[in-house]
Amino acid sequence: MRTKIFVFAALLTLVALALAACAAPAATTGKLRVGLITDVGGVNDKSFNQSAWEGAQKGAKEFGWDIKFIESKQPTDYEKNIDQFATEKYDVLITVGFLMGDATAIKAKQYPNIKFAIVDNAYFPTKGVAYCDDTKKDCYDDGGLKNVTSLMFQEDQVGFLAGVLAGGMTKTGTVCTVSGMEIPPVVRFVVGFQNGAKWIKPDVKTLNVYIPSFIDPAKGKETGQSMIAQGCDVVFGVGGNTGNGGLLAAKEKGLMAIGVDVDQYNTYPEVKGALLSSAAKNVDAAVYNYLKSVNAKSSKAGVFTANLQNGGVGLAPFHDWDSKIPQTVKDKIKTATEDLKSGKLATGYK
Amino acid sequence: MAVLANKQRAIKISSRQILNAVFIGIGAVAVFLVFDAIIGGKCDSKCVIGTLNQAIRYAAPVALAAYCGLMCERAAVINIGIEGMMLTAAMVGYGVNVYAFTWLKAGGMDPALAGDASRWLSLLLAIAASGLMALLHGVVSIRFKADQIISGTVINILALGITGYFYRQYLAQDIPPGPGTFAPFDIPLLAQIPILGPIVFQGQKPIVYFMMIVTLLIHYVLFFTPWGLRTRAVGENPRAADTLGINVFRVRYINVLLGGALAGFAGAWFTLEAVDVFNPQMTNGLGFIGLAAMIFGNWSPFGALAGALIFGLGNTITTTISIFRPDIPSQIPQMLPYVLTILVLTGFVGRAIPPAADGQPYEKQ
Repeated sequence: MRTKIFVFAALLTLVALALAACAAPAATTGKLRVGLITDVGGVNDKSFNQSAWEGAQKGAKEFGWDIKFIESKQPTDYEKNIDQFATEKYDVLITVGFLMGDATAIKAKQYPNIKFAIVDNAYFPTKGVAYCDDTKKDCYDDGGLKNVTSLMFQEDQVGFLAGVLAGGMTKTGTVCTVSGMEIPPVVRFVVGFQNGAKWIKPDVKTLNVYIPSFIDPAKGKETGQSMIAQGCDVVFGVGGNTGNGGLLAAKEKGLMAIGVDVDQYNTYPEVKGALLSSAAKNVDAAVYNYLKSVNAKSSKAGVFTANLQNGGVGLAPFHDWDSKIPQTVKDKIKTATEDLKSGKLATGYK
Repeated sequence: MAVLANKQRAIKISSRQILNAVFIGIGAVAVFLVFDAIIGGKCDSKCVIGTLNQAIRYAAPVALAAYCGLMCERAAVINIGIEGMMLTAAMVGYGVNVYAFTWLKAGGMDPALAGDASRWLSLLLAIAASGLMALLHGVVSIRFKADQIISGTVINILALGITGYFYRQYLAQDIPPGPGTFAPFDIPLLAQIPILGPIVFQGQKPIVYFMMIVTLLIHYVLFFTPWGLRTRAVGENPRAADTLGINVFRVRYINVLLGGALAGFAGAWFTLEAVDVFNPQMTNGLGFIGLAAMIFGNWSPFGALAGALIFGLGNTITTTISIFRPDIPSQIPQMLPYVLTILVLTGFVGRAIPPAADGQPYEKQ
């Protein structure tokens, strides 16, 4: 029995050590404190969460605030992580990702003195939703989420441009998307991409597979390979690390790929030989601008949408492919950009 | 006597396996017909061969994880820490690959040669890392006789912590570009066999081929060598084995370490064969699926391989259906591998019988 207790204690110590290594010391100054909660991808996901964290760091540094992040290991962590920041008396919380929508709304009502910003989720009055049902006019000022700002992106616009690029570059006439979970931001990218490809090349074939995870690059790569076997020669990876697997599949076959969320030429250099461009959403800028408005005491509840018009989304540079992309394709992208901005062209996402 | 009984049991199991194999064959044809109907016959023979080839590739880590469980449990040590061992191996494989490549290249080595050297070195170290985790499991559950489920759980949690820490510290930002994954190759001669060649022996990478060899090897070792007989004896009736002069502890240690090495291969598959990135939790539960495959296969290598192949096939079929039928809601094909697993487990396998002493620490009298 004694040996068992000894072993248990030893193992417990090991685990505690492992966990202690991850935790950062809590700050104790009187400055404004900003907490960022990532989705399961984590702050080094080479795309979305990382970008949000960079924007938050930039803001905090500029305004001299304390900043800390917590990574969610699974969806059940969302509320817990918000609680942790709340008990440590944080003033501003940034939650990253559509999937954190419910947790953020519930906790925003519970902690009315904390300012929340959620990336990628907007609230609409919905029948049966406890925190904002269909008797409300809107969820923010009327519905009680007075302390919540939604930072939204028109992914369909930049997806459309990526589609124009893909449709202009494909030799086989088939383009495809390796997508993560079927949630609105991902669907907007995919629908925009497919319609963009059809806009420049009406007979193009588009393939798409949704994979119910953002952290499964192995599955993403297998899926990419399957679609390549069906003739796809431009792979658009939409879904964190899962999508990265799709980019890798294209690179290994010497085909073309388009990244997502950030300029993946910088964040995922292993695939840069195949990378035409990236459909970037400037999450960092959106988070930074939000913190700037907090600093100026002008932050408001409601939805803020980043789009082509205000430069919140856009195609990343072509880098190594710049000389290989024909001028006609570049011109088409320019035309599409102007027409999307002016409203002459619709992305087809409803 | 007990040893003799063990041998008989092994033979009995294999006769049932033949029956199962027939059932699985019929099931596979049925699944294929349904699949073909769903996608409207759009998958031609090239597509079918491609799908099967891919199913084998995806089954490899599951099969290797299953063999890890099998080696341990045949010697009566339950190992649910496979997932953690795989994750550790995946992390070590990726990290060593990137840094060894950079150092070798900086030392003036030819990049192609440096790439090969660092890949094989990282495979070795990945196996060693997983073996180290297995050693911990062995010491805790064999030497200290702790509950094996708890020890396995601790290893899973520990692996999450360790890999998360090293990832954050050394592998997340500003890392030099790595040499990439192993290159696929064909097996000479065997690849020329019609139908079977393109499905099994073409375009796979070393760990997948290793998985095929190791299946035969484990079957041979377990059922046709003195070592296998001792392992099974220790798993069924350690007291009797001890009486006959077999060192129960030694047999268990060696089996657990061998199992750890196999889990190392499974983990290395993720970062040295599948993709050249690492992210926390990237093994995605395949270690546990491996355990299910082991139980499905009734603690025999060919059975476990069948289980792994069903899972691999379920996965690739899902993808193919999603590609050809975008009108079907994506959630429905995504359920397929799991529905298939339930059907197979309830329909064909019958009662799975673990080794009699499975999970019980051995007390020498």
